[in-house]
Amino acid sequence: MRADGVGAAAPRGGGHDRVTGRQAYVADIHLPDELHAKLVTLDCARARIRSVDVGPALAVPGVRLAITAADLPQPVPRFGPQFEDRPVLAAGETKYHGEPVAAVAAETRDAAEAAARLVRVEYEELPAVFTIDGALDPAAPLVQDAALRPGDPLAGTNVLREHRVAWGDVDAAPADVVVEHVYTFPMVTQFAIEPHAFIAAPDEDGIVVWSTIQHPYWLQRVLARLLGLPLSRVRVVAPDPGGAFGGKQHAKYEPLVAFMALRAGRPVRLVLSLEETFQAVRRASARVRVRTGMHADGTFAFQDVAADYLIGAYADIADRVVSKGSYPACGPYRIPAARVVGRSILSHTPPSTAFRGFGNPQVNWAVESNIDEAARALGIDALELRLRNLARPGEAFIPFDTPADGRWEETVRAAARAIGWGDPVPPGRGRGLAIGIKSGPTTGLSYATVRLLADGSVVVHAGTSDMGQGARTIFAQIAAEELGAPLDWVTVVMGDTAVVPYDAQTSASRSSVLMGTAVLRACREIQGRLRAMAARIEGIDEASIVVERGTVRLPDRELPVLDVLRRGLGRLGGELIGNGEMRKEEEPGHPLGGSAAFWEFNCTAVEAEVDAETGDVTLVRHVTVSDVGRAINPLQVRAQDEGAAIMGLGHTLMEQYIFDDGGRIRNLGAIDYRIPTSMDLPLELHSEIVENADGPGPYGAKGMSEGALLCVAPAVAAAVRHASGAVIRDLPLSPERVWHALHSGERQP
Amino acid sequence: MHAFVYERPGTLADAVALLSRHGPDARLLAGGTDLIIRLRDGSLRPRAVIDVKRVAELEPGIGQDGRTLTIGATAVMTDIAADPRIRDHFAALAEAASVIGSVQIRNRATLAGNICNASPAADTAPALLVYDATVVAAGPSGARRIPIDAFFVRSGHTTLDPREVVTAIELPLPTSRAASVHLRRTRRRGHDLASVTLSCLVDEHGVTRLAYGSVGPRPVLAVDESGVLADARASDAARSAVLEGMLAAASPSPRSMRASPEYRLAMLRVLGMRAVATALTRLAEG
Amino acid sequence: MNVNGMDEVNEEARGAQGAIPIRLAVNGRQRALAVLPHHTLLDVLRDDLGLTGAKECCLVGECGACTVLVDGRTVDACLVLAVEADGAEVLTVEGLAGHGRLSRLQEAFLEKGAAQCGFCIPGQLLSAQALLDANPHPTLPEVQEAMAGNLCRCAGYEQITEAILDVAAEGGR
Repeated sequence: MRADGVGAAAPRGGGHDRVTGRQAYVADIHLPDELHAKLVTLDCARARIRSVDVGPALAVPGVRLAITAADLPQPVPRFGPQFEDRPVLAAGETKYHGEPVAAVAAETRDAAEAAARLVRVEYEELPAVFTIDGALDPAAPLVQDAALRPGDPLAGTNVLREHRVAWGDVDAAPADVVVEHVYTFPMVTQFAIEPHAFIAAPDEDGIVVWSTIQHPYWLQRVLARLLGLPLSRVRVVAPDPGGAFGGKQHAKYEPLVAFMALRAGRPVRLVLSLEETFQAVRRASARVRVRTGMHADGTFAFQDVAADYLIGAYADIADRVVSKGSYPACGPYRIPAARVVGRSILSHTPPSTAFRGFGNPQVNWAVESNIDEAARALGIDALELRLRNLARPGEAFIPFDTPADGRWEETVRAAARAIGWGDPVPPGRGRGLAIGIKSGPTTGLSYATVRLLADGSVVVHAGTSDMGQGARTIFAQIAAEELGAPLDWVTVVMGDTAVVPYDAQTSASRSSVLMGTAVLRACREIQGRLRAMAARIEGIDEASIVVERGTVRLPDRELPVLDVLRRGLGRLGGELIGNGEMRKEEEPGHPLGGSAAFWEFNCTAVEAEVDAETGDVTLVRHVTVSDVGRAINPLQVRAQDEGAAIMGLGHTLMEQYIFDDGGRIRNLGAIDYRIPTSMDLPLELHSEIVENADGPGPYGAKGMSEGALLCVAPAVAAAVRHASGAVIRDLPLSPERVWHALHSGERQP
Repeated sequence: MHAFVYERPGTLADAVALLSRHGPDARLLAGGTDLIIRLRDGSLRPRAVIDVKRVAELEPGIGQDGRTLTIGATAVMTDIAADPRIRDHFAALAEAASVIGSVQIRNRATLAGNICNASPAADTAPALLVYDATVVAAGPSGARRIPIDAFFVRSGHTTLDPREVVTAIELPLPTSRAASVHLRRTRRRGHDLASVTLSCLVDEHGVTRLAYGSVGPRPVLAVDESGVLADARASDAARSAVLEGMLAAASPSPRSMRASPEYRLAMLRVLGMRAVATALTRLAEG
Repeated sequence: MNVNGMDEVNEEARGAQGAIPIRLAVNGRQRALAVLPHHTLLDVLRDDLGLTGAKECCLVGECGACTVLVDGRTVDACLVLAVEADGAEVLTVEGLAGHGRLSRLQEAFLEKGAAQCGFCIPGQLLSAQALLDANPHPTLPEVQEAMAGNLCRCAGYEQITEAILDVAAEGGR
């Protein structure tokens, strides 16, 4: 293995700029003549807007523009990745706290902020719903105008969609033991350290938009439609985001900023505050009822799961989160009968969207916890019960989807071994273990262009966004491996729709597999050209030549790629260009529109100590084991795995939005919304990977950036229960909640 | 942030004069770790911000004069937490100073600022209460000494006159052997605002001083002169009864999102018992 | 009926002050500037001096993305008025690499894979630098405590900590 090829712990692409402060994130970019924008919002969730007077704002020196919904094309343009329901500015009614009703743009940030405060809005606060029960009440006000949902039988309710997955006959399945419980998962937020930022600049007959977006091409499509421009006139520049975690997948205020820039005829920038970001993106909270039927021998009779997700006022991608997240709720087990009903429920709260794990952590928390309950009821060890039912390689555990694509038992046993499962537990401590599974991308389309330059260096063009997962490094390693260039001779160009070819999205841990394959194919196309070149110069049959790892192998000798390239290109120089395409087509009739490209599979095991007097939980050891197929870069794999594990500890132990009665987030901002710091880590964090090169990606890789987050909560809760007897079915497991469980009499072995 | 006039007096007299001139429309700036947040969120909109960090008389020193340790108004938490005299004689204060915010915050936040904000959750307040600290303030009519227990009124309010500047906090060096500790409850282990703070001092005569905050509008001091609480031979029931009495003034707000009143009160008792135990251990270890 | 934007005072009527001249030594270079009193050190570094290594995130001193050294100590630049820093020495991430050569800490961050999305990394590096300046051989809990004011949502805490301990073990910087 080469020191910088596939399988090497190669240094991060873009790393140098990240440690020197040179990495330019969107907010670091300034355009000449730019204006600073500021949003105008109301101090309530749902309100009828009576009037908006921007006059006082326009009187502030330096203010150049103030726009309201009335200044936009009518009816107010709407957009959204699933339903085009979100207006560019609130149209007549705000639907959540933080929804902008107007925006101003000024020569300075100070002037914009001062002016935004002066926009006079007369409004009437309206009844609103902020909880699942509130939204489902037959008398509840409707969040979405029924007129926006023509022909939808659910249009008269706040249920946006109901998604059912079933096989076998749950109602007829006999079971020896049935355990049923309800679990809740809190509303949490992505909290990327980089707040969302947008710049739009008019450009000849079109527009250029800089955004912290994960899916630049998707944004391009949205903007082109809203602005009535051809795709070729909408350029989206997407510098590497400073963390995204799903929150930056889809358009938020780019359409607004684009309309403002076109109106002002000047560049307009909008950098959200962290508070505004909290009001723009979050994860859906959920209430999940699980009924698990077991046979006495510890095999499943059935799983019956009803998952209600509280999404926000506009759908964003949330309904897809619900359908795709609830879909594998029953886990990687052999289950004869299953029924999963996932509902996306609208509310007057900030729109929920994609967030690492994509709807899976909510159901995983419930189902894995309930499996522990079942094990307890049967008197079977929790690990043993899982192993007894775990899908074997090739087994279709969801009858109509990709069969088990890994030797999952290896992963589970590795986690159990690493936590010392079965060893005596020190007094005051407990252990828990849980399994997480998530469907990878179900469809996808990625193009890559790779250029082998005359000196043997390489440029890779790929539309993936590197938001910290390290896609740049992976693509560079693939190109280095295939074309024989040293890693630091490979440049990866990303994030500009005018420069890089189309990529559908950066999500679902797809990029190593889908774009990675496109890059690999582009490299292989270049290898083909090299073969043809070598055949021409050497005057031999192309079929007798092999190109691999930077070497051109002729029947009688080997030549370095560069040697063939120099001679082949000749005095004019030039380059060899390869294009690669990776498509995962839709599968009509499949509940998700396509089967899983791969399964992300993780087993997490923890040992915890509980302070019964205070409810404090100390994670003595946290083990996370992921089946990654093949680690193209083990250093990055470890960082993604451990980072996901710690992020999972956030919603497990401390994170949650707290609302007031008026639908405002009380802990808006960094003071009272707590995320893990360097002092909140497990005393020992141990990550392992299982590599059997059985993934669909290059060299057998699978996607892996979300797995370690999926089942942190049930593993920790099981350990807390084992250590203390505290029975908790609501996250987060805050000290107060643990204490309460221990002192309210619901203490069980 | 809205615009304001920035003043940077070089002498105490100038600072006091500026305060008088601007009246209630002025705010003093020391570490700024609370003030600048409030200027930015608009909850404070002063006309003038008076930066006292370059007032000669407020040099950020920690000095000892006979039996009194004096902490200047611009001394920051980092220095207070690291000062060997404070660590030796006023461990609860050193510990309180060392858990406020992050390193970055402690490098800026001052003790004077912490008590002048009069946040019920201020960590240093209970520590100053158990040590019987004195706040020294300068105003138009000269200097004034305010016993710390007479300083706090309620959240955001002290007995300081709006025209006065706190110049120092004085701590009497202990006259008998004593040991102290500061404990707190937070939602995570990393820096956080406390939902309960508690300082405890036990001396060789068995007197226990407990002070606690974040469980009412102002921090509270309670003293057990009976010696029961600090008496390891006393029954648990007897000690609990004394502790109950000492904590009786706690009345946590039901509106807080950081912890429920029920949990705060329960934790106050846990911290009380643990603090006494720790202080006694420290006392025994000398 | 509710009304937004009613209770605002006209800023102009408040007699706001103009820019104040200050001097700063930023990354060893003397700078003479005129700053508005309500602009923070972070505003001035990013907007006036173009030093965008210090990042803007929470603006309440919780996340540490804007950490810089002022006279050798870490501060959240979002909670320091620029005018307060008059006369101070300021070190930002741009000043860590000398003559184009990465500092040992910067190298260690790369070696350990500590920089993922990278947004928090400038602040992390400065907190780490200040820690090692004050305490060249910190223990693991000391590192975790010293770094707690720098949030990393990629949660590369293990890698960041390893990088710092590595540099400490080498005894050099």
